[in-house]
Amino acid sequence: MRDSLRGSREISDDKLVEQACFGDGRAFGILVRRHHASAYRVALSITRQEDIAQDVVQDAFIKAFRALGGFRGDSSFRTWMMTVTANEARATLRKRGRWSESSIEDVGTLESRAPDPAEQAVERKESERARKMLDTLPEKQRLAISARIDEGLSFREIGTLIGSSEGAARVNYFHGIRRLRELME
Amino acid sequence: MNGIDCAKVRDCLPDFESGRIENHESVTIESHLLSCEDCQSELELIQMLRDGSPAVPVLLADQIENAVSSSRRPWNRSRWGPSVWGLPAAAVVVALVVGVGVSRDRSEVIQDVVFDFGVDADPGELWLSDDSFLAGDLWIENLSNETLMELLVELEGEGAAR
Repeated sequence: MRDSLRGSREISDDKLVEQACFGDGRAFGILVRRHHASAYRVALSITRQEDIAQDVVQDAFIKAFRALGGFRGDSSFRTWMMTVTANEARATLRKRGRWSESSIEDVGTLESRAPDPAEQAVERKESERARKMLDTLPEKQRLAISARIDEGLSFREIGTLIGSSEGAARVNYFHGIRRLRELME
Repeated sequence: MNGIDCAKVRDCLPDFESGRIENHESVTIESHLLSCEDCQSELELIQMLRDGSPAVPVLLADQIENAVSSSRRPWNRSRWGPSVWGLPAAAVVVALVVGVGVSRDRSEVIQDVVFDFGVDADPGELWLSDDSFLAGDLWIENLSNETLMELLVELEGEGAAR
C-alpha cells in the first residue's frame, strides 16, 4: 500500500476526497468502504428492496466519483453521499414506475399491510416487526428515522438528506416515531 | 423531571442508545428514564429499530469498487478543460428548455398535479395525520418557524421549542 494511504483510518474524508479528485482510485476505495453501509441503508429505506438498493448504491457511487470535483464540502462527504444515494434511489423508482409506493393511497392502507397474527408468530423478534412497521411509513418519515437512529445524523443533516429544513426534519422524525409507537402497541 | 425535560431527552435518545453522548449527559438521561415511562418506551422502540437494522451485503463494497474502477474516470476529461462542443450544446439545451416552458399550455401542467381534493402537491409528500386530516411536507415547508415550533411541541411535548 502506498505511503499516502497507510493508516487510512487516520486520513480524513476531506483529504481522501482531495486525493480522489486527483485520480487516486484507492482513496475513493477507502471512502467506499467507509460509507457504503450508510448509503445502502438509505437506498433500502427508500426502495425497500435489497436487490434494487444494491444497484442504487453502486450507481450512486459511480455518479459521486464522476461528480467529485463538484463536491464543495458544504456538508460532510457522508451526508453528501447519502443525499446522492437518496436521489438515485428516487430516480430509480421513478424509472421503474414504483414511485407511487410512497403515495397517499399506501398510507391509507397502513393497517392492511401490517403482518397478520400468523405472520407475527413467525416473526418472533419485535425488532423485525418494528422494522416492518417502519417500512409502512411515508418515505421522509422512515428516512428521517433511519438516518437518525442507524446513522446518528443530526436534524440539520437529515434536512439536507430529505430536502427539507432542519425543523421539518425534526417534525418528520417525531411524527414517524409517534406513529411507530402507536403501531407497535 | 430530574433536571431535564422529556423533549430534550427524546432528542438525545438515539445518541444515548448508541453511546454517542458525553458521560455526564448520559447520567442525566439515565436518571430521567428511571422515572419516565414514556421516554423509556421510546428508548425501547429505538433499541428494537437498531437491533433490526438491515445487514449490509458482505461483498457490496467490492462490487461498488469494481464498478467504479471500470467506469470512466473524471480526471481524464477535466485535464483537457471544457469541450469545444460544451458551449454550443449548453445553448441548445437552454433553448429547448425555454422553448418548452413557453410553448406548453400552463393549465395542462396544473391539471397534471391537482388531485381530487384540490391540492397542488406531490402524492409522495403527503400522509394522513392522526386526526385523519391530510398532512405532509407541503404543509410543513410552508409553515412559519413559530408554527413549526408549535407542531414540535405537540409531537415532542413541552420543552421542544428551544
